[in-house]
Amino acid sequence: MRAYGQLTIAQLRLFGRNRQVLFFTLFFPVFFMVMFGYLFSNSGGNTIYGGLIDLDQTTESRAFIAALDEQKEILKLDTSEGQEAAMEKLRQGDNQMVIIIPKGYGEKLQAATSQTGTAPPGTVDVFYDETQAQKAGTALNAVSQVVDGISKSIAKYSPVVTITPKGIESLNLKYIDFLVPGIVAMMIMSNNLNGVAAQIASWRERGVLRRMQSTPLKSSTFIAAQITARLILNGAQALIVLLIGSFVFGTQMNGSWALLLAFVIVGTLAFMAIGFIIAGLAKTPESAGPIAGFISFPLMFLGGVFFPIQSMPSFLQPIIKALPIAHLSTALRQIMNVGAGLSQLWSEGLMLCAWMIVAFIVASFTFKWE
Amino acid sequence: MTSNAQQQEQGEPIIEVQGLRKRYGSFTAVDGIDFDVRRGEIFGLLGPNGAGKTTTMEMIEGLRLPDEGRAKVAGYDTRTELNKVKTVIGVQLQSTSLFELLKVKEITKMYASFYEHTVPIGPLLQSVTLEEKLNDRVKNLSGGQKQRLAIALALVNDPQVVFLDEPTTGLDPQARRTLWDIILQMRDRGKTVVLSTHYMDEAQLLCDRICLMDRGKVIALDTPRNLISNMNSESAIEFRISEELQWPEARQQGLLQHLHTLSGVRIAEFRKDTYVLYTDDLQQTLTEFIEHCKAEDIEFMDLLTRTATLEDVFIHMTGRSLREE
Repeated sequence: MRAYGQLTIAQLRLFGRNRQVLFFTLFFPVFFMVMFGYLFSNSGGNTIYGGLIDLDQTTESRAFIAALDEQKEILKLDTSEGQEAAMEKLRQGDNQMVIIIPKGYGEKLQAATSQTGTAPPGTVDVFYDETQAQKAGTALNAVSQVVDGISKSIAKYSPVVTITPKGIESLNLKYIDFLVPGIVAMMIMSNNLNGVAAQIASWRERGVLRRMQSTPLKSSTFIAAQITARLILNGAQALIVLLIGSFVFGTQMNGSWALLLAFVIVGTLAFMAIGFIIAGLAKTPESAGPIAGFISFPLMFLGGVFFPIQSMPSFLQPIIKALPIAHLSTALRQIMNVGAGLSQLWSEGLMLCAWMIVAFIVASFTFKWE
Repeated sequence: MTSNAQQQEQGEPIIEVQGLRKRYGSFTAVDGIDFDVRRGEIFGLLGPNGAGKTTTMEMIEGLRLPDEGRAKVAGYDTRTELNKVKTVIGVQLQSTSLFELLKVKEITKMYASFYEHTVPIGPLLQSVTLEEKLNDRVKNLSGGQKQRLAIALALVNDPQVVFLDEPTTGLDPQARRTLWDIILQMRDRGKTVVLSTHYMDEAQLLCDRICLMDRGKVIALDTPRNLISNMNSESAIEFRISEELQWPEARQQGLLQHLHTLSGVRIAEFRKDTYVLYTDDLQQTLTEFIEHCKAEDIEFMDLLTRTATLEDVFIHMTGRSLREE
C-alpha cells in the first residue's frame, strides 16, 4: 500500500516536472480547439454569396427578387454589380452563384398567365460553381423553392398536402459544441496510447523496470499506481479543456458530470491498455512512438474527433463503428450536447469496456519487464 | 590448511551456486559454473566484457531464469523462494538509470516503500556522502554521485548481500576511489558484497576472493594473493628490442628459447612488440639477462620490472588480455 502511494506520487511528480511534455499534451488539444473552433464558426456554414442581375426590369422580375429576399438567410445576393463583374467573381471563387433574369421574363410570365397551359414557361438562368457541389446544391434548392412558389401562385395551385414544421427543444448547437468532446476524446487517446507506450518502452530500455523487478515490488502494484496517476492527470487535463471550452467558447454541458467522468475513466483505461500492448510489441523506445502514432493518427481522423462519423464513406462505417475512439467521442458528445444518460449510451459504454478488457488481457500476454 | 578449516575461519557460505548455465540461442553466456560466496566477504567476479559476469549475477538475483543449475541466497532458492531472496539482497544494475526528475530524497523514499524492513534514509545517504544532495534532482548529480545513489538504493532494505555490477565503469579516478571506500565500509558493517568488474586493480584492491571468469566459465577462484603466487612467479620483466624488425625469424625464436633457460624464469612470452618474463628470482634473472644481451650484442630498451598482477594471471590462463584492444 505504501509502495502504491509512493509510486503514484512519483509518477505525478514526473508528469508535473516534465514541463515540456505537460505543456504540449495540454497545448496540443487547446490549439486544435482554438484553431478549428474559429475556422469553422466564422466561415458561415451554409451561407452562399452570389450576384443577381435583373435584365428584365419588370414588375414580374421585381416580384421574383422580392421572393428571393425571403431566402436571405442562405443567399447573400449582390444586385449592384454588372453581369460581367459578377461572372468574373464566380470564376474566381468569390461568388458561388450568379442569377440572371433575362429580358422578356415578364412578358413570358404574362403570356403564361393569360393562355393557360400552352405558352413556353419563363426562365431564370442560374450559374454555379461545379467544384463546390454542396453549396451549389443548397443554392439551387433555395432558388427552386422561390421559383416553385411563384409558379404555384400564378397557376393558382392550392396544395393538397402541406408540412407544418415543429422544432422540438432547439439546442442551438454550434460546431464548437461538436468539437470540444471530440478534443477531450482525442486527448485521452493520444496521452495514454502514446504516453504509456513511450514511457514504458523507455523505462524498459533504461533498466528502470529491471531494477524494480529486483525488489519485492509486485507488478500489479506498479501497474495500479501507473493507472491511478494517469487517471488523475487525464481527469485534470479533460477538466481544463472543458473549462476553456466553456468559458472561452461557451460550449454547452447538458448532461451529467458523473457520467462524463465515468466515460473519461473507461476511455483512459482502454487506451492505457492499448498503450501497454504497443510498449510490449515495440522492440526499442524509438519505435514505440511511431507505432503509437501510426495507430492514433488515423483514429483521430476516423473516430469522430473533428468530423461527424456519419460523413465518413459508407464502406468505412463498419470499421469506424468498431473503433474505441468513435465510441468515446460519441458518448462524450451525447452527454455534453444533448444530455444523454446511460440508458442511451449503454452500447458505447459496453463497447469501450469490451475494448478495455480485451486490451488488458492482450497486454498481460505481450507485456515484458525487460 | 584444509578447505574445511578455511571455511570455518572465513564464515559459512551465504550464496551457493551449482551448475548454473544460461544460453541465448546458440550462444552460451554462462556455461555451468559452481562457487560459494562466504558471509561477510567481498567476492569479485573478474573477467573481460562478455565473460558472463552480469548474466551470472542476474541469475543469482533472480532476474534471469537459469537453463540449468540452481542458486541459493541465504538459504533461499532463487527459483522457488524468489520473494524471500529479494528481501535479503540489494542490487545495483550495470545500466540502471534512475528517474532523472525526482529528488534524491524522493527516489530513496520510493525504493524504501517497496520493502517492509528499511533503514533510516538520512544516515543511509550520509554513508554514501550524499547528505548534502538530499533535495537535488537526480539529473543534476555527477556520474559518481548517481552511482553512489544507486548503491544507497541497493542498501535501503538493509540487505545481507549487495550485488554491484561494474560500479566504477565510466567514473573518473577520484570518484572511483570514493566508491572503493564506500564498498570497503559496507564490508566493515557486515555486508556480503558481490562485485563484478573488468578492472584488475580494483579487484585486487577490494576483493577478498576473486572468481576469474572467461567465456562463461570459471577459470580460477582464490584470494588475489594466491592467484598471483600460483603462477609461481612473483615478478615480471618487460622489455622491447628496437632493431628486432630486421631480425630473421630464427634469431627471434632463438632469443625466446634462451630467455626460458635463464634461472628463475617460469614463463617467457612475446606479446605484440614486448617480451615478458615471469620469474620468482628477479635479481638472478635480471643479471643473467643483461649478461646475455652483452654477449649477443642485443640492444634492449624500455626495460621495466614489476610485481605480477591479476592481469598477468588472466593472460597466463587464457592467452588473452582482460581489456579488449
